[in-house]
Amino acid sequence: MKKSVLAAAFLAALVALPAVAPSAETATPWIHVRVEEAQKDSRVHVNLPLSVVEAVLEAAPEIIESHGKVHLGQHHGMKLEDVRRAWKELASAGDAELVTVEDEDETVKVWRKGDQVHVRVEKAGKEEVRVEVPVSLVDAALSGEGDSIDVKAALSELRKKRGDIVQVNDGDSVVRVWIDEQNAQAK
Amino acid sequence: MVKLAAILAVPVALLATVASLGVMVVDVREAGPDGHRIVVPVPLVLAQAAVAVAPAIAEEELRIPDNDVLEHIGLARGVLEAIAAAPDGELVRVEEADEQVLVVKEGNALRVHVHGRNGEDVSVRVPLSVVFNALPRGDGRISALALAGSLSAVRFTDLVDVRDGDSHVRVWVW
Repeated sequence: MKKSVLAAAFLAALVALPAVAPSAETATPWIHVRVEEAQKDSRVHVNLPLSVVEAVLEAAPEIIESHGKVHLGQHHGMKLEDVRRAWKELASAGDAELVTVEDEDETVKVWRKGDQVHVRVEKAGKEEVRVEVPVSLVDAALSGEGDSIDVKAALSELRKKRGDIVQVNDGDSVVRVWIDEQNAQAK
Repeated sequence: MVKLAAILAVPVALLATVASLGVMVVDVREAGPDGHRIVVPVPLVLAQAAVAVAPAIAEEELRIPDNDVLEHIGLARGVLEAIAAAPDGELVRVEEADEQVLVVKEGNALRVHVHGRNGEDVSVRVPLSVVFNALPRGDGRISALALAGSLSAVRFTDLVDVRDGDSHVRVWVW
């Protein structure tokens, strides 16, 4: 009798085990994108394991030319090589305000603090765009040569990152991109 | 008595064989007091045979023409492989005032659920193995044999569930 009760308890525990385990948590990093448009009463949530993002980038040869590097060429009169050189020089400067652009009603600020690069765009004194990028991510992205961004290295860094990456709030819509280990977005 | 048993044994054995190989059931329930209910069981082996012989009848229809679509098959295959290897979870949720679309990875399948503005609910479960085998090879041809073989992987699965008011259509395989 005792043996059968123990066996039944063991079986019950086995059956209950998956329910006890935190089903929403996985060790895999997930990248989440949430776009909310209040006027349209519309919400779009996209959740992808980083492994899927990596697969997309690896399988798209027209985006990734070779070895996970994107060739950008010249943008806004500045070659990526120049950006890389400037970034290396700034790295030695430590925490610093990198860029400030003040327009009539818009202010753009880029600064480095600790291990993060911060970008803020304010319009009429109201924060509209907030981007926080880990320094290590920029380091990894710029670890390629010439006019190439090293996407593989950047993704490898993203795997270590948890938390918000991008937040954009322009009044009409809110965009948030973050990484965690949840396989769904909190309701 | 033995003769009767022998006579009954043949159809019973046949039915048991068909059942063991799987049956796809289409169940349609119409709304209203006079609504009909139509249940169509299709032995899976018949569906597999139809898919397997399809190239002999419509060879060109099972070939993707050599165009831009073929260039992206590698990407689609890579993404599907990554999704198959990834843990289960909600991939996409689109919510509007009166509509909702949900794409969830559940085991070896993708479940797409649409809640429409008129209250209709459509739920489709797409086994990843079927999608893999439906992708054309390098020459643009879809392997009908592989596709037919993958149908056996959809057993004990609710493939389609559509509810519109009191009407209900369900397709499942057992």
